[in-house]
Amino acid sequence: MDRRKFLRSAALAGIGLSFPGGLKQAAEAAQAGPDLAVVQGPSAAAITRAAIEALGGMKKFVSRGDIVVVKPNIAWDRVPEQAGDTNPEVVAEVVRLCIEAGAKKVKVFDRPVNDPRRCYVQSGIAEAARDKGADVIFMDDRKFKDMEIKGIALKTWPLYTEVIEADTVINVPIAKHHGLAKLTMSMKNWMGVMGGSRRMIHQKLDESIVDLARAIRPKLTVLDAVRILTDNGPQGGDLDDVKRLDTVIAGTDQVAIDSYGATLFGMKGSDLGYVRIGAETGFGVMDLAKLNIRKMKV
Amino acid sequence: MQKLLTTQNIRRITQGLFLLLFLFLFIQTESKGNDELGYPVRLFLDFDPLISISTMLAAHALPVAFLLSLITVVATVLFGRVFCGWVCPLGTLNNMVGSLRKRKPESMPVKWYRWKYFILVFLLVSSVFTLQFVGVMDPLSLLIRSFSVSVYPLFNYAVRAYFDVVYAVNPLGIALLTEPVYDVLKSTVLSFGQSFYVQGVFIGLLFLVILGLSLLEKRFWCKHLCPLGALLGVLSRRAVLSRSVSEGCTSCGACASVCQGNAQPDSKEHWRISECLMCWNCDDICPENAVRFGFGKPRPASPLDLGRRRVIAAAVAGVVAVPLLRVTPLAQANSKNPALIRPPGSLEEKEFLKRCVKCGECMKVCITNGLQPTFMEAGLEGIWSPVLVPRIGYCEYRCTLCGQVCPTGAIKRLTLEEKAKVKIGLAMIDKGRCLPWAHSRPCIVCEEVCPTPKKAIWFEDVKVKDREGRTVAVMQPHVDLELCIGCGICETKCPVLGRPAIYVMSLGESRSRENQLLMPEY
Repeated sequence: MDRRKFLRSAALAGIGLSFPGGLKQAAEAAQAGPDLAVVQGPSAAAITRAAIEALGGMKKFVSRGDIVVVKPNIAWDRVPEQAGDTNPEVVAEVVRLCIEAGAKKVKVFDRPVNDPRRCYVQSGIAEAARDKGADVIFMDDRKFKDMEIKGIALKTWPLYTEVIEADTVINVPIAKHHGLAKLTMSMKNWMGVMGGSRRMIHQKLDESIVDLARAIRPKLTVLDAVRILTDNGPQGGDLDDVKRLDTVIAGTDQVAIDSYGATLFGMKGSDLGYVRIGAETGFGVMDLAKLNIRKMKV
Repeated sequence: MQKLLTTQNIRRITQGLFLLLFLFLFIQTESKGNDELGYPVRLFLDFDPLISISTMLAAHALPVAFLLSLITVVATVLFGRVFCGWVCPLGTLNNMVGSLRKRKPESMPVKWYRWKYFILVFLLVSSVFTLQFVGVMDPLSLLIRSFSVSVYPLFNYAVRAYFDVVYAVNPLGIALLTEPVYDVLKSTVLSFGQSFYVQGVFIGLLFLVILGLSLLEKRFWCKHLCPLGALLGVLSRRAVLSRSVSEGCTSCGACASVCQGNAQPDSKEHWRISECLMCWNCDDICPENAVRFGFGKPRPASPLDLGRRRVIAAAVAGVVAVPLLRVTPLAQANSKNPALIRPPGSLEEKEFLKRCVKCGECMKVCITNGLQPTFMEAGLEGIWSPVLVPRIGYCEYRCTLCGQVCPTGAIKRLTLEEKAKVKIGLAMIDKGRCLPWAHSRPCIVCEEVCPTPKKAIWFEDVKVKDREGRTVAVMQPHVDLELCIGCGICETKCPVLGRPAIYVMSLGESRSRENQLLMPEY
């Protein structure tokens, strides 16, 4: 990652300045441990814990007193077995580790496509995250502010201020099929913090996804592949489309994570437009051969 | 010293408690994200014998919880119109508005009380001929409808606007103090989101007029117009709780001025029990303490004095109204209003109209705000019945709340499995507006949001040429008519604003045998 280039784009985005320390930390984290930790096992909580541990532990990403935003995918009124939303146990474990690492507050939210109340309850995420001490909140329309993104497709867009203002942002997406993007994983998950008429961005979806992921820059991404949705996504509903992989992938490079995630579906990272663009513009690494990937079973 | 525990005060407290109960249940009639609803405000309608009777007459069916309405009947037969005087939340509101006027208002001509009986006769006779029009004037239905569609959205709008402005301007950092208050309100009395209803103004103004009439005369609505009051009046005529006036009466007339009904308490012998709301004001105010309410042998009821010809006229009007309202092309399969998308679980249209009492609870509880009151889409007979307007909100695939709150079973209560199979219409694509079809631009929103397990919207990969002659690959959406359930989320979320590029019509709705497109398989 070209540090100077990143700093410039982050400064242009007007948000990079809010966490220069976080950047340094993330850079250190990337040097120390593996680039990606891929952990398989029967317990969603245990594999989540092990994956983050492999990267150097949550303390690497969360400092004492931090306000943390954990952003799962809670877009649909689906139950966990249908794999339309992030696995609640994965989310809950991330929340627990944040609190254990000393976070002052852990906020969990998403801007669902279906009714927010039903999505929060039916996905099981609200209850699971609350149990571990998170503030599970419905997004407040007043807290979307126009942000300069200056990306390839997105120039300015209203984004959720609580994400921008947080000390630490953790992306907790689920790996699913998607009609246009082919797959939706970590980078596309940021559509959930967009305000306004986000349905328009499908006209230039791949570029927009990269612009967004670039603007948000989570310190840590935990991709839930406990169950993946292989067809009729991103919403699903048919249990025949759900494949149980009992896997979690953690890392700090969203391009790398999505590139690896593609292999779970028998694809390559280069099959996904946004991964390709992400790699071409130097946002992350698509070529898995260049990555230090640690695979484990727990 | 004035006595605090007067009957009047006990009654006021009781009225207040019932009004609070009503408001509590009303606010609870909202999704919390679970499949089942806690306490719907339907409870009040369950106790409403007028709804029970008209549903029995019109639909030959029993309302969901009609036994509860028998409690009201028995209470009235024994104790008179206590429901009107002590329980009815609309009566209480009328009471409160009436109290706003200090000066004693003019009394309307005494005989006006008969109007409500004529209205009752009209409504019930038309019910016999299968017309369910009672809900338009039933006080509880009217109250819930007015609150759902107008009063509560208005209240929410006002409160939100206030806190939003304070939040945005934040004078002297005061938002730090107001935001916690706002949070408390949001988790207690405010709705989850701001709802909007077509006709909110119209229904709201009608409600204001009804309340405003109380300024002309206290409880104008209860005395002269309320058909439930009339029904209870008829039932109350041989109540065992009765009123007697002792020899001490000096005919001072004090009681007449405080009577909540139109019972002529000063005329002793001609006291009309059917008009008495059992408020006991006459008992409280009597300077000679000559008025007494107590149990005794039912006295011969004073006649309602309606006039046979007038009753017959009202009955005839009820008979005539039925064909009058029904000679409309809207009943024909070929000329139905295609936008009349009924909630999932709705009975076939004729049966639906026989049951729907227009209480608006389904609209209140609809989580996307998509259920709206009709105006003339279903004819005058169906005024204020629910219609799904997908541009406002769609039918949430796994939500069954409208069927849970419907008091008369016009909307059946569905299980999630049943719900997934019910078609309320079909989606069609407007190829002249759709981005991939007409403008060679990628867009997949309708497919993305389509909730059926196997998506009812599928893509055809096509190569088209742009203006410069370059080949562009686009995915053009198609609707699978077998799989589409007409939920309308595609229309709600379609980025082509105004007239959408995909829209839902009632065609293909499973409740209708005629309104079909595909060749039947039987």
